[in-house]
Amino acid sequence: MAEDDPDRRRFLGVATCAVGGAAALAVGVPVLRLVIAPAGTTTVTGPSEPLDLGPIDRFRVGAEPRKVEIIAPIVKDAWTAARNVVLGAAFLRRPTADKVIALSAVCPHLGCAVGWDAAAKNFLCPCHDSRFEADGPKLDGPSERGLDPLPVTIVDGRLRLTWVRYKLGIAERETL
Amino acid sequence: MIGKLVAALRERTGLPAAPATMPTGPSLAYVFGAVLMFLLVVEGVTGFALAAFYAPTATDAWGSVAYIEDQVPGGSLVRGLHHHGGSAIIIVAGIHLVQTAVSGAYKRPRELVWWLGIVLLLLVIGWAITGYWLRWDQAGFYSSQVELGIAAGTPIVGGVIKSLALGGNDAGNLTLTRAYAVHVIALPALVAAVTYLHVSIARRLGPTPVVTKSPRATAPRWPAQSFRDVIAMAVAFALLLAFTLAAGGVDLAAPADPTSSYDARPLWPLRWLFELRVLAGGAEQLVAMVAPAVFGGFLIALPLLDRRPERAPKHRKVWLGALAGMFAVIGALTVASFARDANDEALGKRRAKAEVQANKARALARENGVPVTGALDVYKTPPMYKARALFEQRCKNCHAAESKERKGPVIAPGHGDRAWLAQFLKTPSGDAFYGHTKLATTEDAMKPVELAPADLADLVELLYAESGAGDVDAAKRERGAKLFESACTDCHSKDQGVVSTGGPNLFGLGSRDYYTTFIGNPKSPVHMGPDKSQMPRFDRELTLVDRDAIAEYLVWLRTATEEDLVKLGPL
Repeated sequence: MAEDDPDRRRFLGVATCAVGGAAALAVGVPVLRLVIAPAGTTTVTGPSEPLDLGPIDRFRVGAEPRKVEIIAPIVKDAWTAARNVVLGAAFLRRPTADKVIALSAVCPHLGCAVGWDAAAKNFLCPCHDSRFEADGPKLDGPSERGLDPLPVTIVDGRLRLTWVRYKLGIAERETL
Repeated sequence: MIGKLVAALRERTGLPAAPATMPTGPSLAYVFGAVLMFLLVVEGVTGFALAAFYAPTATDAWGSVAYIEDQVPGGSLVRGLHHHGGSAIIIVAGIHLVQTAVSGAYKRPRELVWWLGIVLLLLVIGWAITGYWLRWDQAGFYSSQVELGIAAGTPIVGGVIKSLALGGNDAGNLTLTRAYAVHVIALPALVAAVTYLHVSIARRLGPTPVVTKSPRATAPRWPAQSFRDVIAMAVAFALLLAFTLAAGGVDLAAPADPTSSYDARPLWPLRWLFELRVLAGGAEQLVAMVAPAVFGGFLIALPLLDRRPERAPKHRKVWLGALAGMFAVIGALTVASFARDANDEALGKRRAKAEVQANKARALARENGVPVTGALDVYKTPPMYKARALFEQRCKNCHAAESKERKGPVIAPGHGDRAWLAQFLKTPSGDAFYGHTKLATTEDAMKPVELAPADLADLVELLYAESGAGDVDAAKRERGAKLFESACTDCHSKDQGVVSTGGPNLFGLGSRDYYTTFIGNPKSPVHMGPDKSQMPRFDRELTLVDRDAIAEYLVWLRTATEEDLVKLGPL
């Protein structure tokens, strides 16, 4: 069989592509599997229990919303475990003695951090100018919904807050 | 269809319309270059996947590698392929080099191709060395120390080389960021550029004719040679995969620990130098420099020394003999080095110990995560590690049941619970309590409390409540308080800060604060007083935080069982 026999050439061509393709797959599959492994898994853990924000007396009845750092006692991030990690911030207000309203400082539009506009007495997101009332509902701007409330309970005179992250950019409130 | 597409692409890329031909026809002898290219691609893709997880900092490097190895699905396989793939490149490059030398393919006009190949071999070895450092485990860390130590011995520029590689004065973050930058940016770019030159010049000059009696006809590269190439690539990868799976991936030692002694060995391509250093004794520094220079120099000089056009091996015995001799010496030294280690029993034991340590560190990293303070702190992540370590060092001798030199009460699970308190009240000078103290032999020793069982339980409840435990029976405690007034107040007070006459103040007995201050100064007037306790004061030796940690551990012990203690794991 000569090297230039057309049938042989065709067979070798197909065989080359097949073997080459198989080799490429053999290399590519494990690599791809590794690269996509973290997608859809929890690589950064959040706090599993409500966080203690200290005595309720820290918050004066009727005062303006006060920004509080949300600190997780332990966060596992891929291979590391870190203590006292700042996860974000919440604005807390105590309209009456036995009621506390907590709002996540994460803007529901695209995730920037909102700030309290003391002059206008409402919240303003610096990124795209969404405005929110002191109790959370949207006033103005591109956000699809109002600020997200965070569950708070009062146990033995101490405030406990559950840190929740919601999906951004949609009108409904869906937890992540 | 495909033919048309190829033709269209040829036209639009300016490539020649005619397919590439080989003047000597296809041959299995020509596959090694293709296999090397393929293996370089394997290193590139696996390297990309690893880089997507790796963190080149002194605190994080080991943790990220351990994460890839032990926690990401498929991480161990890819890391194994990347590691052994590097070895495969050096092996195939060696075959390629020997084959080139035997067939005289380095002769005019192909000297440049040969020299570029030597450069590639050096770059690949540099790749292996920097890659090994990146693990920042004991093996990688100590390799970096030794290799930079050798580099520092280079005349005149040694210090500068070492300082550049370290990124300053000592191994740390900058050492890793630099090694990483070289490993994943500089070396790939250099290897790609030199490979391009090496291959394009070789292609332009055409393959060296195979020395055979029957001349071969010119034939197109596609598909006959291409088929041989891909078969060789597939075989190479199958071998690499099989080896990687059989070897169980690649090892990862314990995190880099500058205080430990570790039997570091260089990667296998450098083992011959390691053996040479051992044999050279005092001249090791010289040997480490001169031997590679002689070998490298010979390879570079070969096309200049063996200049006659004659390519048949039988007419070039001197040069091929010299090359074979060098490879034989390198091979023999390599084998001798591995054999020396294999026959060293003490080394085997140290290695086994190092492996236990590595497995412990990796298990802890999997379980608890690596502290952000650094990989070595992974050893401190078991629960209450600090307190238990301090207890081990400072308390155990006098307080552990198994200690032969015990001088105080046994401290073990259940210490300070109701049963313990009841037993203590009944037999304060019993073996597990003050029996081993000097106090027990004096008149100041506490007298056994003789009460009906129900009354004793009430008194126990009162004392138990001092610990701040949440499960106190208030009625029993009330009754206990009356018993305390009548039976105990001659010697003891329960009011905060009051110095009682005969024995210690029992305010907060068994609470974290109580233990913290007691450990700080047992001879304080509110505790045992200056004369009744042999226990040293620890407030000058242990920080408040340390004493508090021990106190937390003692409080934990109250409700713990022996099994709970075992579950905490070893220190």
